[in-house]
Amino acid sequence: MSVSLLLQSVLSGLTNGFVYGLVGLGLAAIFRGTRIINAMQGDFALLGGITAALLLERLGWPMALAFACAVAVGGIAGWLMELLLIRPLRRRGGSEDSYLLLTLGVAFAVSAFVLYAVGRDSHSLPGLGGEGIVVIGDASIRTHAVWLIAISLATMAGLRLFFAKTALGLSMLAAALDAEGALTTGINVPLMRTLTFALGGLVGGLAGILVGPLVTVYFDMGLLLTLKGFAAAILGGLANPMGAIAGGVTLGLLESLAIVTVSSGYKDVIAMVILIVIMIVMPNGLLGRRLRKGG
Amino acid sequence: MTRIFVRVLFGLLLLASCQAFVAAQQPTSAPIKIGAVLSLTGPGAGLGGPERNGILLAEKRINERGGVRGRPLQILIEDDGSKPDIAKSKAEALIHGEKVVALLGPSLTASTGAVATVTNSLQMPELCMTGLGPAIESSYKSLFHMLPPQTLNARAMLEYIAKGLKAKKLGVLHDSGYGQLVLTNIQNLNKEYGVEIVAAEKFEVGATDVSTQAAKVRAAEPDVVGVIATSPVPFRNARQVRIVQPIVSAVGSSSYEYVKGMGEFADDITFAEFIVAEDPLPHQKEFVDYFHKEKGTLPKTYDAAGWDATHVLAQALEKAGPDAGGEAIAAAIRANRYRGVVAQYNFAAADMTGIELDSYTYSKLVKGQYTRLPFKAGK
Repeated sequence: MSVSLLLQSVLSGLTNGFVYGLVGLGLAAIFRGTRIINAMQGDFALLGGITAALLLERLGWPMALAFACAVAVGGIAGWLMELLLIRPLRRRGGSEDSYLLLTLGVAFAVSAFVLYAVGRDSHSLPGLGGEGIVVIGDASIRTHAVWLIAISLATMAGLRLFFAKTALGLSMLAAALDAEGALTTGINVPLMRTLTFALGGLVGGLAGILVGPLVTVYFDMGLLLTLKGFAAAILGGLANPMGAIAGGVTLGLLESLAIVTVSSGYKDVIAMVILIVIMIVMPNGLLGRRLRKGG
Repeated sequence: MTRIFVRVLFGLLLLASCQAFVAAQQPTSAPIKIGAVLSLTGPGAGLGGPERNGILLAEKRINERGGVRGRPLQILIEDDGSKPDIAKSKAEALIHGEKVVALLGPSLTASTGAVATVTNSLQMPELCMTGLGPAIESSYKSLFHMLPPQTLNARAMLEYIAKGLKAKKLGVLHDSGYGQLVLTNIQNLNKEYGVEIVAAEKFEVGATDVSTQAAKVRAAEPDVVGVIATSPVPFRNARQVRIVQPIVSAVGSSSYEYVKGMGEFADDITFAEFIVAEDPLPHQKEFVDYFHKEKGTLPKTYDAAGWDATHVLAQALEKAGPDAGGEAIAAAIRANRYRGVVAQYNFAAADMTGIELDSYTYSKLVKGQYTRLPFKAGK
């Protein structure tokens, strides 16, 4: 195995890993603030991606404006999701299973809605930095992928600061950890939960515009993204946004290194076996324990 | 006055006869129901969507021209979600509930097998949009394939690699679905063509970045790279890791959607396929023009397969009669040597399609535009 091949696999692993991590980040943010596993996180990305594609293709909006609007659509979708579906279910005493089933059902509904309203065609999104590549030694990475990594890291850091340092973030955490206690201190718990979903939706919308240029945006891309994001979030520690990124990058690198060291045919088997070992040794995920000590 | 009266009467008679002529051209009787089970959602949606376009367009054209024996066609389309069990239940509902006379589809090999167990027991004609699948299909008498088997797709790629490019070393970048099917057949045939496979790297359908696999293929220093996938990602990644060798691909990877997704990397990629709508062959021109007029876009192979299947069935219904029963309609299909948009068919052939290598057309992407190559396979 040559150095350039190893370097290429690391760059490719980082690209895929940050895609998984970015979806996992939204999942972790929602779980942290509501204790709900949101199976439609990938569909927030679908909504963001398809919004950007339509605004660019059909209305000719400037890229920055279309992308900003796409992220906002993700946030609005999250807001509506909590307000119209999660909250009534909670009022009726919904269990963890019922939330999972609800979000899974909405994921299918969103996919079907996009299919009905937009059609089954794939839509390309322009990348940040166009089609340019950054050459490192004999390996290369797309300029857009570098932006994806940078924005993912910034989002992760921003979320960490938000939950640790801001009154709103702390209120969201309090509402999730002890709703009754939070109520007695004057925190508007239902609003905090709605805002948490909106936040998860914003991160999902961001994932949509960042993943779209790497693949294409199409109506049933959501569930596939959710599955990888879920694996990343579980591996990193579900309640820790930083863990989701760490989990995603670990997963991406494991897959990529399995390709160059063994075979692309056994990539998933090798990556998953290592993941199982990690989960047995560290059942709370890579960064899960640290959060619990702090919490 | 009498002269005016005669003229008016003559005019009215002429008008009435014209109306009668037009009416005779319009189908007036009860519609002939045909079922179609296609993959409109799920992983096979990229095939089922175009197939539906072709079917609906053919239905419109046939009905515009008077239908079949004066009766219009009514095609009832169902989505199998790319799942064989759903395909089977949808087919049963169409057969027993809607009383269709024949079936078009499915889009995927596994679904074709599932539906064929039903149509075979009833001797109902089924024109599927796949190539020959498991060996048991050869024993079915009412199943017909509108597309070539994967072994022929593999052979068509190798023809160009060995004879067109004179290449000896092949690297393959393929997905775990369609790409794996074609690669398996390439691996059975490559020695016959004197081509060595120096690398074969796989990635999952829907992968976001396959640069590592592409770099591994590049490191093997092939003369030519085969990229076989239902996504633009591997084409883009191959060029991004600076694979400069020619890329050759198969019919299932040739789509305007994928070309759009390849961006500036849609260059120097050759496809072994069946239709180059930018430069259609004489027998394809009518379909291409009609498609463009109705849809505003250009068709590809799967659109044409839907169109051909509907026309083959319409011709068999015309010959045998819509109420002749499945066996007679199937016999009429078998006897037809149909010159389709996709290929010259012979449904009596062992692979139930009779498509030969000379039906393939080779197209090359040059700066995002398909151009026809003069290369002919089998020569």
